[in-house]
Amino acid sequence: MEQLVILLLVLPLLAGLVNHLFSKSLGYRSATLSVYGAVLTFAVAVYLLLEVLLDERSASVQFGDGWGIILADPLSSLMALLITGISLIVRIYSVKYMVEEEGYGRFFMLLDFMTASLLLMVTAGDLITLVIAWHLVGVVLYFLLGFDTRSPVASRYALWTLVTYRIGDMAMVIAAVLLYHAFGTWSLTEIFAEVTANPGQHHYFGMTVEEVVGFLLALSAFARSAQLFLHTWLPYTMDGPSPVSALMHAGIVNAGGFLINRFAPIFVQTESVMHLLFAVGLVTAIIGSVLMLTQNDIKKALGYSTMGQMGFMIMECGVGAFSLAIYHLIAHGLFKGTLFLGAGTVINEARQHDGVPKQDLYTFVVERKSAKRNQPWLVMAGITLAVPIIILTMAHWLVAQDFFQKQGAIVLLFFGWITGAQLLFNTYRMDVQNVWRLVGMIIFSFALVIAGYVLISHAFDLFLYPDPAFRAEIYTAAHIDVFWFDLLVILTTAVIVAGWVLTYYSEQNRLKGEAHLNRLWLSFYAMVSREFYMTDLYAWLTRALLKVSARLNVLLRWR
Amino acid sequence: MSGIMLLFAGLFLPLFPLSMVFNGLFGQMQHRTLRIALLLIWPQIGVALVVASGMEVPGWLLVWALLTAIFYGFRALVLREVSLWISFIATSVWAVMWLVIGSQGVGWYELAKYALGFSLPLVLLLLLSGELEQRFGAAYTGLYNGLAQSLPRLSWLIVMVVLAVIATPLFPAFPAVMAAMLNVAPDSFMMALMLSIAWFMWGWAGARLIQGLLIGEENQTVTAQTDMSVGKAWIYAVGLVVMALSGISMTGGLA
Repeated sequence: MEQLVILLLVLPLLAGLVNHLFSKSLGYRSATLSVYGAVLTFAVAVYLLLEVLLDERSASVQFGDGWGIILADPLSSLMALLITGISLIVRIYSVKYMVEEEGYGRFFMLLDFMTASLLLMVTAGDLITLVIAWHLVGVVLYFLLGFDTRSPVASRYALWTLVTYRIGDMAMVIAAVLLYHAFGTWSLTEIFAEVTANPGQHHYFGMTVEEVVGFLLALSAFARSAQLFLHTWLPYTMDGPSPVSALMHAGIVNAGGFLINRFAPIFVQTESVMHLLFAVGLVTAIIGSVLMLTQNDIKKALGYSTMGQMGFMIMECGVGAFSLAIYHLIAHGLFKGTLFLGAGTVINEARQHDGVPKQDLYTFVVERKSAKRNQPWLVMAGITLAVPIIILTMAHWLVAQDFFQKQGAIVLLFFGWITGAQLLFNTYRMDVQNVWRLVGMIIFSFALVIAGYVLISHAFDLFLYPDPAFRAEIYTAAHIDVFWFDLLVILTTAVIVAGWVLTYYSEQNRLKGEAHLNRLWLSFYAMVSREFYMTDLYAWLTRALLKVSARLNVLLRWR
Repeated sequence: MSGIMLLFAGLFLPLFPLSMVFNGLFGQMQHRTLRIALLLIWPQIGVALVVASGMEVPGWLLVWALLTAIFYGFRALVLREVSLWISFIATSVWAVMWLVIGSQGVGWYELAKYALGFSLPLVLLLLLSGELEQRFGAAYTGLYNGLAQSLPRLSWLIVMVVLAVIATPLFPAFPAVMAAMLNVAPDSFMMALMLSIAWFMWGWAGARLIQGLLIGEENQTVTAQTDMSVGKAWIYAVGLVVMALSGISMTGGLA
């Protein structure tokens, strides 16, 4: 297994180096080399995962004295499979997609180096290697996003990404240094063993080392996973090539979820970091989703959708569902990668045929034309509220009978219920031939999705965290006082129900809307369409800083 | 006496406003060899003076050094002349040497290596700015864009050297920053934050420098120039590889 881990890192690195050194003589064959390298790396990753899965053991290789440790454990092998799989698809797609671009060989070289950096990041077994890989991912991404060197716009947003990533990098460096100072080793395995055996032994800045490091790592994860206030780079990096967007949204931006899982033994010893994860994730999910709805650029909408999804992922960590976050990031990676790779074709199609084809869903959602004869309201409301909760409860009960004792599971159940109810509530008035068939299909799809996510995430739980006591500890760390928990659930329910009532009211009174409400709505829409002015604020702040810098230089006569 | 030596060292491991001496001198010297010598020797004198003083670096001096590092990193953001950029970034990174010196158990040899780790990439950048001056008459960002398309070898080298200057992992400046962080972070979160801000400024300034030189539509002035010869590029590349290897070895030294 040790040789496999080395091979996993060496293959993309070697492909990248050969591509760089012989780019001229290789010409278009640089893509072939890169694809073959990716196929081999993917095969190694599959084999490695099978080894870890079947042998139920982990392995590590150490290159330096106390550092340069490479780990092959459940988390790293699973992430390696995702990374190699997505980078293989992206490479195959890029062979034709990038063929007319200048710097064809350079592009594949950068993809190879990116894969190598990502694999080093997920397999890092010590803090120095992790910090190095974490940094390198940001640097290589900067060059991939700014691949078109003629485009100042692409370059500007690549710079935004680099700058945001640097904020996260710094937090990680401080966290790494504090852990080393406290435990006298860079090795993650040794640190985790020590933290588990003697938690709360070391204190910095009036807090336990676990708490401080937890906050710093959370910040690092926020920057990497585009959480609120550190998200502005994500939707604006669409000037980079589409395959890079696919790779970034599918395999790079979700590194925050990986980081939290990697440091799970630290996070379970914290008191308030998990709640911070929940709060930031929740707000990001809401803001990201709201911003997505107002975009008219398909790639930008996908960018904000990623922001929302990353918010959900971080929120899942915040409620203690660590392995669910890993499942989420894998599932999101696959569907978002596909969407980005398909976006180019959709845009081309729309340019050639600019009419909207007649379709039931479009007529209902966009044109707001509902069926002439509605189904009995009470029956549909009953189905809307009861069916999702029954499906969710049954699915959860199947895998863990005591799930009602875990607040995290309740929160996820609650969100699942709202989503299911919303889906049914929105569609039962659609103008279709057989509404019961539609409702039946929705319930069937919903049941399938819920059963899939519950069963798979449970399998992930057993694979990533085989120790039941540790799994329980994660949920306990996310636990909040019952009074506050109940109050939050009631408040959230009230907000959602109020939203439904408001929607119903405005639908009924669409034509006689009150002027001040319309004005309020328009102001809100303007604010959302300007992305809550956050981008403007950052741009203004940057300009102001550069102006001050220039003034200082003049004042001090460039000395 | 030792205190005076320490203050005197503030000229060589620059502390603002003493740093203005180095920047003035660097600006006055037009000969490239002299500038290279200055970049290599100046911080070494500072290190030698601090070691000779035998004094522990006081906390207030560390804060002063950090403020200097941030100040010059911040001021480097808007600089367009490459040699001036080198001079300011040198001032900023050398100020961080004070924090490395504060590390317990770091001997003179180690300190000299860290200082060299900061200086060598700057020397390479100075040499590359000479290549730009040779072709365009001045090494200036925003004056001629789009070098990446016409002069790929020179552009690639500029990118790699700037990465080395801004303490990107694998290059020798990275373990120096890590050593500084190891010294300050456990005792003072504020100082760790300040060091992070300085490092952040280098990254920002470096990316702006790369953008100002390499990005954009190439114009006639650029297309008329020939790229760096393969042989010369290989010499630089070997230099970079040696630097990266020594950086890896120094990173290992942290463990």
